[in-house]
Amino acid sequence: MSSQLTTANNDGALAELAERFRAVCESAVDPLEVASALEFDGVSDRVARVGYEVADVFALARLLYAQVLRRPADPAADDHVQAGRPLLHGLLYALPAACFPAAGALLVGPGVLPALVVALLTGWGLSQGLAAVGYLRLGTSGLGPARRVLRVGLACCVVAVAATMTVTAFVVHARPLVLAFGAGEGVYVLGACVLLVTGAERWLPAALAPGITAAAVFLADGKPPVLEHQTWVALATTPLLACAIAVAWTARAGPRLGRLLNRAELLGAVPAIALGLLAAGLLSFPVAAGASGHGGGNVGALIASVPLALSMGLAEWILLWYRRATRRLLGLTDDPRWFRRHAGLLLLAALARYVTGTLVIISVALDVAVLSGQVEVSATILLSALGYLLLGMAMFLVLLLQTASIRLVPLAALAAALGAELALRGDGLVVQVAAPAALLLTVALYALARLGRAVLHA
Amino acid sequence: MKVALAAEGTYPHQFGGVSVWCDQLIRGLPGHEFVVVALVATGVEPVRWELPANASQLVTLPLWGPPPARPRGSRAGEWRAGEWRGRGRGVPLAVRELVDVLLDDAAAARFGTVLRDLHQYAMTRNLTATLAAEQTARLLAGTWRERWPLLAAPRGVRPADTRPTLHDAVTAMRLVEHALRPLSHPAVAADVTHAVTNGLGALPALAAKWQHQVPMIVTEHGVYMREQYLHLRNPPFGWPVKDLYLRFLAQLCALGYQEAEVITPGNVYNRRWELQLGADGDRLRTVYNGVNPDDFPELTDEPEAPTLAWVGRIDPIKDPETLLRAFALVVAEMPAARLRLFGAPPPGREDYLERCRALAADLGIDGSATFEGRIPRIRDAYAAGHVVVLCSISEGFPYSLIEAMACGRPCVATDVGGVSEALADDAGIVVPPRDPAALAEACLTLLRDADRRKSLGAAARQRALEHFTVDRAVRAFDEIYTLIGSGGRVPPADPGNPVATTVTTVRFGSSV
Repeated sequence: MSSQLTTANNDGALAELAERFRAVCESAVDPLEVASALEFDGVSDRVARVGYEVADVFALARLLYAQVLRRPADPAADDHVQAGRPLLHGLLYALPAACFPAAGALLVGPGVLPALVVALLTGWGLSQGLAAVGYLRLGTSGLGPARRVLRVGLACCVVAVAATMTVTAFVVHARPLVLAFGAGEGVYVLGACVLLVTGAERWLPAALAPGITAAAVFLADGKPPVLEHQTWVALATTPLLACAIAVAWTARAGPRLGRLLNRAELLGAVPAIALGLLAAGLLSFPVAAGASGHGGGNVGALIASVPLALSMGLAEWILLWYRRATRRLLGLTDDPRWFRRHAGLLLLAALARYVTGTLVIISVALDVAVLSGQVEVSATILLSALGYLLLGMAMFLVLLLQTASIRLVPLAALAAALGAELALRGDGLVVQVAAPAALLLTVALYALARLGRAVLHA
Repeated sequence: MKVALAAEGTYPHQFGGVSVWCDQLIRGLPGHEFVVVALVATGVEPVRWELPANASQLVTLPLWGPPPARPRGSRAGEWRAGEWRGRGRGVPLAVRELVDVLLDDAAAARFGTVLRDLHQYAMTRNLTATLAAEQTARLLAGTWRERWPLLAAPRGVRPADTRPTLHDAVTAMRLVEHALRPLSHPAVAADVTHAVTNGLGALPALAAKWQHQVPMIVTEHGVYMREQYLHLRNPPFGWPVKDLYLRFLAQLCALGYQEAEVITPGNVYNRRWELQLGADGDRLRTVYNGVNPDDFPELTDEPEAPTLAWVGRIDPIKDPETLLRAFALVVAEMPAARLRLFGAPPPGREDYLERCRALAADLGIDGSATFEGRIPRIRDAYAAGHVVVLCSISEGFPYSLIEAMACGRPCVATDVGGVSEALADDAGIVVPPRDPAALAEACLTLLRDADRRKSLGAAARQRALEHFTVDRAVRAFDEIYTLIGSGGRVPPADPGNPVATTVTTVRFGSSV
């Protein structure tokens, strides 16, 4: 009788324990996993003997594992794509463009265009390299060491921008104010890059506020000469503020541990710098070369370049969507061929999303320009906009390939496109449309071929 | 004698118990030359320990980050041929074999041969690129699909519910590729390789054994596999991946135990696990962690107010919440009692400290229970209490306990890990974990009884000096190195005294 009671009590205790450890047992791969969980929860050999009358915790785990059916839970899905951050990025890329018309009076004299192109190339190239190093350090060592390397990198890059601009201004005989504007442009891009990498881009609107507000007021008032100097001071405040916020934000970097830069980080920076230089070159070429290919301005290109910068935020958001969608796709099949087909369709869907969004943005920009009387719709303007749309699509695919660590061929394609534009610049708008079209075709076919691989998406 | 000491994620890049132990071992054996082989995450981790003079070299093997470089002596052309990215060439035989053993429960016996072949392959070809290739993932996915009904049945899962996907295949192969990166580095030639953990940490020792016939020793402070089970309880990937990867690690641990000339768990509690995981009981020699008695001299004075001292990380695994609840019961009986907690939360878990503070406030003991943070001289923490309390829900063989024992402080500790073997029957009081009433009762008993405190403290100190000193541990390894390094074998353990730490020298089967 007593033995029966004990057995009944044990059965009850065991059932209670099985219920307590149900989730563990349902997803355990073997009884030892259950044993580790039991011990972790304080069930020792002594408890197993006294409470459940089995030899030890391993025997108890075997009982529980046998009693509970396996029903493994799926890992928590992380499928939500937040649009806010990428779209903020788009605004942050595009807003500085508003400073250019306000600074018109500054940007006079010889060598303005070469100086601004050099500023763009230097700023983009260095900032892309700095971002690559920052992201690598963030991934390997965490936020503190990333702040440290970005802080030192920012100082070095600012010096490099200042030196490059000084030499350029000397060579092209640009005025000191042109030199200052170009340097400010580069410094802003670098400060913004540090804040973006460290997840502090929320502070960038504060840096942009003085320059953008002053530029907006100045332009809305019809560029009154009395406000010129105040506007320039406000414009200068923006890069200085961006840099100051970046320095303050990276102040809590922790002690220096190990080498400042390692070989992998230096090697990682090289393709990023190349991408920055090539992208800046392709973006600025139509503006610098003009519709004729021999300079003389290109209003259409100027109008289309701002929506393109804005569309990069959209591109970032679609890129996140695409990455998540392909990962979901991988989880739906065990057939690589099925995955390749559907991944190709997803790529086309992503491109279609980007085209739709960018067309809307360019259309709005053109409408605003036309309605405000700044331009009239013409074939030149539409062709310039088409060239930028094609370039944006190609850049979107290049970014997508970069996120899959595919760099060499996209960079070669970008270099070839820029080379073709430079070599055939005399063909004007024809090459400014044909080169991005060829680039898009090359990169799209390459992306379709490469991005069907499962190993690039898990 | 040249000893290659292989550690994973600890010495000399991180602080912690295992790193303290490694440093003590190297410094304690100045007559031996050490090469430290450190498995690290990415290779950019700073070295936090100054290596002793007899540590002649530090070899760093990153598991993540950039892939391993081409080994010296291998041909560049051949290596590039190994940088094979699924351009229609067949998957190399060694990798096919790996996929086969990963998906065959009956293939455990071949696991060692397969890893050995992979190591040989990696000395001339790019193993990392081969394992990361699309073709390899496809091979795994295809084989997994075919064998899944056979694999699912013994695991008690319905094949249709948990069918492995392409995502699972890619994820699993990525985990295995990173885990096997130590095989892509040339083995360190030494007289003995000492892996201070099993699992991935044993790979450099296995490679040295295969490549240079170097005998190996495996020491486990915590049981590697047990920690992996806990770590992967709620993994960020699907169940088939968890199943495959844990089985891969279990096979690796079994191979480590099988290839080791001697296995030295840090306590008998670990020994139970090692036997379950396939270790041969005859090769097990428990060598306890030790403290330097000079750093923990006997404490004779006691604080004025009746005080409990606690030392540890403010972390759920140390369960300070049960201690706070127990202390509330103590205060109800003894209003003058105090509780002093020394230690800080790990980075990122500061919220848990706040939770404990809030609990103390809720229990009305926030005036008498104080969180004092880290203390420069740990001995002062033990001096601060009449009784030292350890209330963890999981432990290996805690340093804080043997340090307090060496100081002669009476201890109340939960029955987890190696605690009960540290305290034995007469050197402290052991209570069940997560039981505030039992913990409070034991603490009150000692706080009220000065004679009992004195006798338990004396017994604890005597036991610590007898069994748990650095000298003793170092001496045991000195004997093991000398014996194994000269081709000798450690004799079978005395079944009646499994915790013996002294090695009786047996050379070629005969006592010396």
